[in-house]
Amino acid sequence: DHGFGLPTSARGCLSSVSSQDVPTPEKPRAVFHTSESDPAKHTEHHEGRHYSIPLQEVKAVFPHGLPYRFQQQIQTFNEACVMVRRPALELLTYLGSSNLAHPAVRYVIYGERGTGKTMTLCHVIHYCSRQGWLVLHIPDAHLWVKNCRELLQSSYNKDRLDQPLQASAWLKNFKTSNEHFLREIKTQKKYTWGKQESTEEGRPLGEVVEQGLARVRSASDAVGVVLKELKQQSHRGSFRLLVAVDGVNALWGRTTLRKEDKSPVSPEELTLVYNLRKMMRNDWSGGAVVTTLSQTGSLFKPSSAYLPQELLGKEGFDALDPFVPILVPNYSPREFESCYGYYLERRWLQHEKARTEDGKAELQFLSGSNPRQLDRLAGPL
Amino acid sequence: RLVQVRWSRYNPSFLEPEVNKELYQKPREELTEEEREQMELKAVRPIKAAPPTLSSSVFSDPMISKFTNMMMKDGNKVLARSLMTQTLEAIKRKQVEKYHKAPENEKEAIECNPYVIFHQALKNCQPIIGLSNITKGGKTYQVPVPLKDNRKRFLAMKWLITECRENKHRRTLMPEKLSQELLLAFNNEGPIIKKKHVLHKMAEANRAYAHFRWW
Repeated sequence: DHGFGLPTSARGCLSSVSSQDVPTPEKPRAVFHTSESDPAKHTEHHEGRHYSIPLQEVKAVFPHGLPYRFQQQIQTFNEACVMVRRPALELLTYLGSSNLAHPAVRYVIYGERGTGKTMTLCHVIHYCSRQGWLVLHIPDAHLWVKNCRELLQSSYNKDRLDQPLQASAWLKNFKTSNEHFLREIKTQKKYTWGKQESTEEGRPLGEVVEQGLARVRSASDAVGVVLKELKQQSHRGSFRLLVAVDGVNALWGRTTLRKEDKSPVSPEELTLVYNLRKMMRNDWSGGAVVTTLSQTGSLFKPSSAYLPQELLGKEGFDALDPFVPILVPNYSPREFESCYGYYLERRWLQHEKARTEDGKAELQFLSGSNPRQLDRLAGPL
Repeated sequence: RLVQVRWSRYNPSFLEPEVNKELYQKPREELTEEEREQMELKAVRPIKAAPPTLSSSVFSDPMISKFTNMMMKDGNKVLARSLMTQTLEAIKRKQVEKYHKAPENEKEAIECNPYVIFHQALKNCQPIIGLSNITKGGKTYQVPVPLKDNRKRFLAMKWLITECRENKHRRTLMPEKLSQELLLAFNNEGPIIKKKHVLHKMAEANRAYAHFRWW
């Protein structure tokens, strides 16, 4: 059969052999894997193959941001395997050859529901963190415009509203992923957080983050300060900044939040959204902005909408214009084979009929080669 | 295949739908006489509408559909089916996680197929002998009686579902509890196996009345 009993080290060296020459027919399972775990070295040759990220790195690079089902998969299989796909490779070549002296280029990843936009974003984030960039990852902007229990009036600007819970949760995750950067970057202005607390000029940014975590009331202002400092200092070249936002259409849509007098809140009135919109402008250099559109968490948008014009609206499109659109399609036949082979090898497809040609054809037909549908169908089988 | 005809509103000339793909893919020469007659009839007679439970998928299982129907409340088949799929996935996830974390020599012993676990657990829960109420001389006695296959399967599924509906914490969801119970029943432990043993003991205790049965 496929030889499941081989230890992992043997599988590692087998797959490295097969990724260099033509894959041998008697060991088909290794075709779907590469031992190349550095995204910088991924080329079209690796298209359709899975590469695994060591679990320690997963915890460090992705404290938040991975889809829930993928996190469950990591726990079940005891490994994190991401498929290398063409939109991600395209983005990696653009990022690798980008000129950092020019203003930041904005990339918008769009596609139908469940085609793998968030996973492409995570691939890009892994590449940037391996290259040593500072990654500013907002896992889902929709969480900031809906289901907020506490809305405080901002002390900095009377018209705006603060969200302490979301801001402090984000600051905690930001701290785990970028610890060494927070020690090196220094503030350039004095910030006062209230009557007695203030941060002097020249202190490391880590102190601002600590301040935001300790005093939850000023957490949203701390986030704003962090964003401002990073934007001002990125053009110097000491670090490269990647702004990765998932569900960027939340910043220009409507919210479901209401003020105390039951009047609706528009997104500009939220401090977090206001500061993030300033980051999205291309008036800074020394990095890139990679965003994803998402209909799944969006508010007041029909479920068939997936194009940038439909999801961003006129305001959002004008704010993000000009951007580089990247379409993420459903699985090609080769990618479908690869995913199917990976599930078989990891003992995820257990039904006896799932191993037959009929079962495979049925899975392909029922899922329509959509990654999310395939995952949901393969669950009970 | 048995078809209930007493209350059927169809004209008797209507034929049943045939879902088996292999039958249609066989060339004409391999078919037996009856099958050839059936094919000729199909060209002439009208065919009944296929019921929603009839599926041509290779993954459909009659026991699983029966269990889903028993779990259904108020005709909400969508919810019952999604609960069933989530249960199977939960069982598979637990077993596959155990498989990948186990050392090499124990890997073969862990069963990961949720369908195998489901069938084996139901088989373990089925009672061999049941009790029935027989009235003789003004008094009702609990008489031990052999059970038919259908009755055994029904009792096993009924016990499983009532156990999961009643004896769980308010916050645990049905798939989670069901997967737990199925895994326990697969290993011959758990409250449903205990219930089966209690029934067997009662039947053993009432052996004296076994001659009251007349069928």
